[in-house]
Amino acid sequence: MNSRNRTVKTLHIISRELRKKGFPKVKTETCYDGKSIRLSGKVQTWQQKIEAGYIAASHSQKFKGIVNDIAAESVHEPLFPSPGSREFDETLDGLSYDVVIIGAGVIGCFIARELARYELSVAVLEKETDAAMHASGRNDGMIHPGFAPKPGTLRAKYNSKGNSMYPAIAEELDIEYRQPGSILLFSSSWMRLLAPVLRYRCKRNGVAGNYRYLTRMQVQNLEPHVTYRQKGGFYFPTAGIVSPFQVTIACAEHAVQNGAVFHRSTCVTGFKSLKRKNKRQITGIITNHGIISANVVINAAGIWADYIAGMADDQFFSIHGRKGTDAILDKKTSRYQKHIMAMPSLLKTAGNHIHSKGGGIVVCIEGNTLLGPTAEEVPDREDYSTHKNEFRKLEQHLSLNTRLKKSDIINYYSGVRAATWKEDFIVEKSERVPNLVHAAGIQSPGLASAPAIAIDICKMVLEILSTGRVEKVEKTDPIPLKQNFIPCRQHPPVLKLLSNDEKKALIRKNPLYGNIICRCEEISEGEVRDALHSSLPAVTIDGIKRRTRAGTGRCHGGFCLSKVLEIISSETGIPKSQITRKGGDSRIIIREISQTLSSENKKDTEEREGLYGD
Amino acid sequence: MGTETVGRQPGKQYDILIIGGGPAGMAAAAAGAEYGASVCLIERNNKLGGILKQCIHDGFGIVQFNERLTGPEYAYRYRNLVKSYGSKVTVLTSAYASKISYHPEKSAADLFTTEIITAQNGALCLTSSTLILAMGCREKSDRQVFIHGDRPAGILTAGQAQYFINIQGLMPCKRCVILGSGDIGLIMARRLVLEGAEVEGVYEIRNEPSGLKRNIVQCLDDFSIPLHLQTTVTEVHGRERVESITVCKVDDDQKEIPGTERTIECDSLIVSVGLIPENDILSFSQIFLDPHTGGPEVDQNMQTRIPGLFSCGNALHVCDLVDYVSESGETAGTYAAKVSRKQIPYRTVEIQSSGNLVYQIPHFITLPDIQNKSSTIMKIPVYFRVAKSTEKAELVIRCGNTVLFRKRYSNLSPPEMKRAEISLSAVAKAALSSPLIECIMTDLGDTDGLR
Repeated sequence: MNSRNRTVKTLHIISRELRKKGFPKVKTETCYDGKSIRLSGKVQTWQQKIEAGYIAASHSQKFKGIVNDIAAESVHEPLFPSPGSREFDETLDGLSYDVVIIGAGVIGCFIARELARYELSVAVLEKETDAAMHASGRNDGMIHPGFAPKPGTLRAKYNSKGNSMYPAIAEELDIEYRQPGSILLFSSSWMRLLAPVLRYRCKRNGVAGNYRYLTRMQVQNLEPHVTYRQKGGFYFPTAGIVSPFQVTIACAEHAVQNGAVFHRSTCVTGFKSLKRKNKRQITGIITNHGIISANVVINAAGIWADYIAGMADDQFFSIHGRKGTDAILDKKTSRYQKHIMAMPSLLKTAGNHIHSKGGGIVVCIEGNTLLGPTAEEVPDREDYSTHKNEFRKLEQHLSLNTRLKKSDIINYYSGVRAATWKEDFIVEKSERVPNLVHAAGIQSPGLASAPAIAIDICKMVLEILSTGRVEKVEKTDPIPLKQNFIPCRQHPPVLKLLSNDEKKALIRKNPLYGNIICRCEEISEGEVRDALHSSLPAVTIDGIKRRTRAGTGRCHGGFCLSKVLEIISSETGIPKSQITRKGGDSRIIIREISQTLSSENKKDTEEREGLYGD
Repeated sequence: MGTETVGRQPGKQYDILIIGGGPAGMAAAAAGAEYGASVCLIERNNKLGGILKQCIHDGFGIVQFNERLTGPEYAYRYRNLVKSYGSKVTVLTSAYASKISYHPEKSAADLFTTEIITAQNGALCLTSSTLILAMGCREKSDRQVFIHGDRPAGILTAGQAQYFINIQGLMPCKRCVILGSGDIGLIMARRLVLEGAEVEGVYEIRNEPSGLKRNIVQCLDDFSIPLHLQTTVTEVHGRERVESITVCKVDDDQKEIPGTERTIECDSLIVSVGLIPENDILSFSQIFLDPHTGGPEVDQNMQTRIPGLFSCGNALHVCDLVDYVSESGETAGTYAAKVSRKQIPYRTVEIQSSGNLVYQIPHFITLPDIQNKSSTIMKIPVYFRVAKSTEKAELVIRCGNTVLFRKRYSNLSPPEMKRAEISLSAVAKAALSSPLIECIMTDLGDTDGLR
């Protein structure tokens, strides 16, 4: 009874505060058997909905989560995308797996890779044409040291654990990984008094490495071009960097090499379930390609994880999109900065939301420098547009380094973080659905935390399968490890990283590696063809870009796009006019002119070509 | 692919190594061979000719050949010229220069090392006594003019569109908007209409077109394509393919005027917003790049401040006519052939621009040994561009009190590159008393126009 009284009291406090803030039309109630708070009703703007959500969150310590179903009248909040232009057929109907993971982001792919160690059939369903199409491919690639999350949260736990796992994982996945270290710059000298506090927090979060206070001169020595405004800083040597899409795709490929199956362009639209012993168990996953059955389902659906939970009648949280914009600088800037840097005071003036670390300058594994990210609450969870105002905030970071200029910017993009109202990860078995596991609300530092989260999720899955918690699945002995597990993935050759002799040998073996098609990034035709034949083959222009970096350089694909198009077409047989940038209707070419040319014209063309050809 | 190797298989050492087989590189190769040097020409594509190959419109060669040729025809002539030198010029096509390095400590024959990746010959490492950079230029992308909004398929540069249509026979759009009135943009507007696409309009942020007048008339006016000055594209809309764009008028400071936004439905945005000389391979040297040209500083022989390193064509500065590109290549090749055999003692005189000028080429003049008569009769071409349009202006090039060149011009505009000539012997004489040559462009009758 006591707890019920407390619940009523909390709801009362929240309602009162919401009224005070001027949201009288918001209704507060409990949901999920009284364990979560649900807000509903109406407000005017999106910002008000956000504000209401955080008011509720500030009183939710005793609750599992917050479901914010308030409608903001002035904005359109797009719902979970229907399969839309994706094809409807029965190609996957009737397939059955031990484990099905929903979402091929970095979390889903790490989980798939972890589960592939065991004698289990594992499938990953991804609604897009490729892995890492959303937040996993749209972040700054930083492997945070673990200092930033609030101590005691799952974010803190998984971040530092994940960070310490990365060096070994990079080896296993054969991907580039580096620890440039990060420096939190102080904007005034009194801030050095914070050093013991920062040290204490690091200790509580389990941050590794010799983190320490640096004097102004020490910072200056590490970073000769740092701003003159810095007054010392705090140094985290274990801050690392990776290519976020390389990690995700490498995990996916490694999982596939060990037997996992990826079904792309496969959108989950609902679940079939069976009620047993008061518990609703998932028996089938309804997709645009038919119904797939699974013993255990993992919700790693990123920004849409709350919808997936809702489809399984298990929604105790909701997600709101927080967009971040990054800008990429030309590789020639790499000589001006070696560490990741941020200055908190700068972030305040930039008017950033409190729920973000605020960004700074990140050095990239590929040699570029990156500004960002910003933070902005957005109603549309797949809105990756960039805007001038957000961009201006990014530009402020340029002032941290005296040598960086706006004209060094070669590209910019944005991603949307999957934030929950409690601002923490959800990594747990469902309380209601015995064969559902959530890896949800994984926002920053999700990339850094992913390997650690995957290990825990894997444990939960094994537990569910071996304890007979699921109907129809017999209680078994512990699930055995795969005998023929391939422990390491081999990355296809990257010409640019080879020595001159290695290049020679490679080109002698296959001359296609000697045909450079992307001159900014020095990428050969051989590498592009490899990407089309990897264990998770690229099927789009962006898929090639994420696997090989063709098109990420300063010319922005100006020279290589047409060549990549040609190679995809010749290798896969897809007509050029059907090849897309990122699936759907993102075709590059409208039609082939030669189809409409008469044979006489064609002869002309050939003669014209003869002029400069041999 | 087919690697076209004219002449012998690649050796190890050359008098001249040229990176880039476009109009500048081919002219340099021919000139170098003409003066007896051994030349290696590196071309990234599988055929010589560079961007000329996709420029099927005419207007090339008016200065060099006194004819109106198409791009491929112009390239073909130079390619034949290169070929006529037989084994003196080694041509490596489908070859990519990945890295160059400079070794002043080594013998004159091995000053430069160039690492090259080819399909046919593998990874090569060639040394040369001189190096000519003729990599041309690349187009600025939509990102470099900070267009925001979505990032769907259908945003491409004019050069990309040109390659798709003219080389691959692929149509990239049905109805497009062109941003930027540079020459390629104008030519593509016409080309797209000829191929059956609709060009809604050409938008230019500045208050005057960036392309040549003849292109405005022939490509836009003749095809009734509207040109909107002081208007720019601010945002692109569409998740998968471009669905529409927003344009906005700008004031004289190129600031957007709120309330003038207009949304245009289209399936493509083609940008032609300027060219950047391709000099990224120079990062080895920390060499100074002129912020106005984007290329290194050169003397009248196209030699940079690193002896033996030459830059020419669009890699040096973006030219409006291909004929000037070839001319600078020829100059570089000729002189590289000379210095590859013998370093000539010299001293230099700097050149500076003032008044209504953005830049001038060369940046400095190398004075050879005065005794050497043959070279002092030479005329030095000085290329320049005005900063803003002017109806009447006078250019004076002087060294101390000596006037080397004086000419009145009418109707000058920034897109148009002009060429003046000064005599090397006059420079040599005047330089005895003054260390600096000044180029001054004075607007006549419009004193407000002075910068």
